[in-house]
Amino acid sequence: MFKVIGPLSIALSIVASNPTVAGDAAAGDKRYHESCHACHGPAGKGVSSYPKISGNPIEYTREKLMAYRSGQKIGPNSGLMIMMAKPLTDEEIENLSAYLKDAKYQK
Amino acid sequence: MKHVIKKSLIASMASALVLGGSAVMAAGMDVPMIKVTPVLEGLDKPWDMNVRADGTMFFTEKCKGLSMRSPDGKVTNIYGMKGSSGYSSSGADLFCEGQAGMMGVAADRNFDQNRRLYVASTSNKYHGSGCKSNFERCDGNIVMRLTLSEDLKSVADRTDIVTDIQYKPFESNQPFGGPGAHNGGRLRVGPGGYLWIAGGDRHRGICPQDPKLLCGKVLRVDTDGNAHPDNNPPAGFDKRIYTYGHRNVQGIDFRPSDGKAFTAEHGPWHSDEITALVNGGNAGWDPQEMTAGRGACPDKYCGYEPDQMDGKDPAVRASYMPMSDTRFADLMHPTWNNNGWSQGTSSAAFLKGKNWGIYEGRLATGVLGIGFGGTPIGQRIDMVGITPDGLGINGITRMPLGFSKRFRGLVLAPDSSLYVAVDEGEIYRVTATSMQ
Repeated sequence: MFKVIGPLSIALSIVASNPTVAGDAAAGDKRYHESCHACHGPAGKGVSSYPKISGNPIEYTREKLMAYRSGQKIGPNSGLMIMMAKPLTDEEIENLSAYLKDAKYQK
Repeated sequence: MKHVIKKSLIASMASALVLGGSAVMAAGMDVPMIKVTPVLEGLDKPWDMNVRADGTMFFTEKCKGLSMRSPDGKVTNIYGMKGSSGYSSSGADLFCEGQAGMMGVAADRNFDQNRRLYVASTSNKYHGSGCKSNFERCDGNIVMRLTLSEDLKSVADRTDIVTDIQYKPFESNQPFGGPGAHNGGRLRVGPGGYLWIAGGDRHRGICPQDPKLLCGKVLRVDTDGNAHPDNNPPAGFDKRIYTYGHRNVQGIDFRPSDGKAFTAEHGPWHSDEITALVNGGNAGWDPQEMTAGRGACPDKYCGYEPDQMDGKDPAVRASYMPMSDTRFADLMHPTWNNNGWSQGTSSAAFLKGKNWGIYEGRLATGVLGIGFGGTPIGQRIDMVGITPDGLGINGITRMPLGFSKRFRGLVLAPDSSLYVAVDEGEIYRVTATSMQ
């Protein structure tokens, strides 16, 4: 059993920390609409008092989401973001980061 | 644009289908044809509008300023905020932060003669020695009376008629805890030409029940900012106060049948509310710590307790930190509480005119959509039928727009169309056509 889980854990940690493993932007788009769209608006453009979150490097978005998921406070809406980031998996963070990098609001 | 038009067509078709069914099944029921047309897009946080009989529309953008759209579609930037560019003139004291900025706009009832607009905004002009912490007075919200030039393209005169509505200057340990929180900001001119100003509690526990602070209140004043002579707040209260005990009112309008004022108000993780206002009444919000069985709270504000950073059954929250606390003898019981959910009710406007068919007289209520802790996001405009006594509802229908957005500002135009501002940056015109 340990022989199986050990390599799997290592592989997952590599996926989570290795920026060369590309996220799935389409899956990120879907996840964005489930949890993020209501506040940050379409394509992460930022609405009301919620900031724009699109157009950033993948590394930036990944780092912020992981920080929130760990409970770290960054800015005045941390309470909300920590709550929203808690359930995100590593894969979902990669997908969201990939989606938001190039997301653009088009009317 | 094509996307929007396509959606509006779909909405119209859907409405037509409903009509077709109703014509067969319920003769005499006038379900109107509802159609949506984009008016402006690419705006920056549009917040409120006022529409004139000729189609001229004044509108605010929270972090930019006041503008005017002429009937021919041309936009003129009239009065900007600090840092704005392209405006005829600007107020260097006007700023935006978080939920605060340039917000409500209303026109004088004699606008066609005096060209007066009333505009609510955040300002640093009257801070005085306050605003050094979140636990002292900080007068940072004002109402301006602007007299426009004859061509309506610039401000000829600005007079600040209310200068002492409190503002939250610093971050606190709350969800949405940034400066500028719970800033209210809707303005409407009501019966008799008096100005109604809707406020928020600015995340300060003592605000809503305090007799002198104007945060967490609805004010009724004349066009110089003086109290309406018939305001009837409790003894010792500021006479400008019409009602108190509010959390964050962003919707207010007056029922066409009797002129009664109704508010729409955000709830605290639970219980968005519509309330029929009673002169001098208490909306029942009291987020002070060490009060009503509650202990100490983060930054002396219990408004999101218990466990303010975690999802929790809204009913549990409501029992601990009620939106309308029944311990108050002067409580104004809510008309509607969104089934106990908080999804972010914002602006509200009564639907006037026979063109609205069976929806005539209903209160259109915009919902921004906030989906935390398992609450459905719920972005929509509800058309809420209110009982004659104002204490209950007799029906809710979702307005068939064909899309969902953060519905921030609603106002009825003189031609009985509904203008709708969304946080995403657009203003729409919603028309209803009676089928009888």
